[in-house]
Amino acid sequence: MREEATLQKILFYLFAVFFIVTIGFPFFWQILNSFKMEKDIFALTWFPRSYTTDNYLKAFTTRPLLSYLGNSFIIAAVATICSLSIGSMAAYAIARTPIKGKTSFLILVMSISLLPPIVIISPIYGIVRTMGLLNSYSGLIIVNVLFTLTIVIWFLTPYLHAVPMELEEAAQIDGASPAQAFGKIVIPLLGPGVFTVGILAFIQIWNEYLFALVLNPIRIKTVTVGLKMYESDNYMPWGTIMAAAVVIVIPLITLVLVLQKRIIGSLMTGGIKE
Amino acid sequence: MKTLTRKQFGYLCMIPTLLIFLIFAIYPVFRTIFLSFFRFRLQTGPVKTFIGLDNYSFMMGDSRFFNALFFTLLFTVLTVAIEVVLGLVFAQLMNLPFKGRGFLRVVVLIPWAIPTIVSGFMWKFMVHDQYGVFNQILFTFGCIDKFIPWLSQDNTARLILILSDIWKTAPYVSLLVLAGLQTIPKALYEAAQIDGAGPIRRYFFITLPLLKPVLATAVLFRLISSFKVFTVIVALTNGGPGYATESLTMYTMRTYFDAGNYGYGSTLATFTLFITCLIALLFTDVIKGKIDGGKRSKL
Repeated sequence: MREEATLQKILFYLFAVFFIVTIGFPFFWQILNSFKMEKDIFALTWFPRSYTTDNYLKAFTTRPLLSYLGNSFIIAAVATICSLSIGSMAAYAIARTPIKGKTSFLILVMSISLLPPIVIISPIYGIVRTMGLLNSYSGLIIVNVLFTLTIVIWFLTPYLHAVPMELEEAAQIDGASPAQAFGKIVIPLLGPGVFTVGILAFIQIWNEYLFALVLNPIRIKTVTVGLKMYESDNYMPWGTIMAAAVVIVIPLITLVLVLQKRIIGSLMTGGIKE
Repeated sequence: MKTLTRKQFGYLCMIPTLLIFLIFAIYPVFRTIFLSFFRFRLQTGPVKTFIGLDNYSFMMGDSRFFNALFFTLLFTVLTVAIEVVLGLVFAQLMNLPFKGRGFLRVVVLIPWAIPTIVSGFMWKFMVHDQYGVFNQILFTFGCIDKFIPWLSQDNTARLILILSDIWKTAPYVSLLVLAGLQTIPKALYEAAQIDGAGPIRRYFFITLPLLKPVLATAVLFRLISSFKVFTVIVALTNGGPGYATESLTMYTMRTYFDAGNYGYGSTLATFTLFITCLIALLFTDVIKGKIDGGKRSKL
């Protein structure tokens, strides 16, 4: 028995090392190379004598990285807030009101969450163009609301089931309308759930590429579309690209590390992304 | 002012969501299916000519379509199969009661949180034919005798795309499996052990059957998201060399926005919808379970 335990321990730590190295290496390599001079990248020197922050300077000056970041932030933040407000209302209706057609609605939500974006991209492009919202914030925000609404509804419905009905009933006996009960009793109790799913939605929008590419190819580019802009046909400024990539990823990694417990918990209870 | 009843308020709450679904999902789906029966090209203006199934019969003879379908299926099957196997192994190891396992769970989040386009560029840089670290490491350890232009050969380009997807997603799958593992009661294992079942028997007769629902859910979502692969290809190979790594989504995108052929593009998109429905039909139990779960009151 003891031998088995020791063997398990060795196995575990071997695995842990392998796991951390394979997962961490590409990320480590990206950061390391973002500080290298081009000659050291070309010379395949792992740890050069001197490092430079030039790549970061170039990342911000050769392309408008700051405005890419700003655009992505505005789009992700506004779309997340819209999605949370609209989605929590729908989740509330499903979980706590006696409306008809709940099953059909949930089937619809499920279908949309499984729907490949390519199926709807051309009509959406048409709609957004007709609305005059190509290369704007609003167009991309609406589309991202669509794709995050489904996560919000899936995530919040069970959450709302768990809020005791008595609380709301008590409020209604005291003369509150359903809308007031929703605002004063349910919303505050939803706090933590809304926060967690909000983070998941924000990450998904920040990382979205397809619609950002199609709807905003000229103005209001997001970070994911912007990163591709550093590439040119005959020259890849690798140091600069790696630096820009690090800048794009930092907000996410920070968010994830600070909120790891919540994110892991929500992923493990089945909040499936993508 | 008359106050609303609960039921009325419930319907009111659904309106914004339903409007968004209707305008930006339901209408577009039908619009795409509808346009797949028309000749409709950007070059010939807004004229749509009904041509019945002509686009579909063209598709059946389109070798570029079959090439894209083949690559997409290959990518989907290999990534999902390998990710599930690795996910099972990783989760088992992550579940061992040793110090540092919490840290492993945090490490898992890194590839998950990185945008696909960024991880695509990271990989493109690592497998560069002249100064890629991948070549350098393999060369140093004597696995290859000269640097390989990974992304300029059909099969190695496919391999790298698959590897990069596995790197990004297998850790996440392992987290899902781990969640499933933790719901299996310890008492089951103890009882089996008393009955004389060894670790392998215990795994195949207790662990795997009880993980089935979790695995089925993971496989469903992974199949569907692997099948729509696009972004990582844009970063790594842009479909090349030739059309070797052009996925169905990428071919559809190019038909729509590079060739301006909205009719045939819609046909390709409708085909993607059809395959997605087929995949979903294979997993009706999972979907039913999720929907019942959404209706029942449980957290």
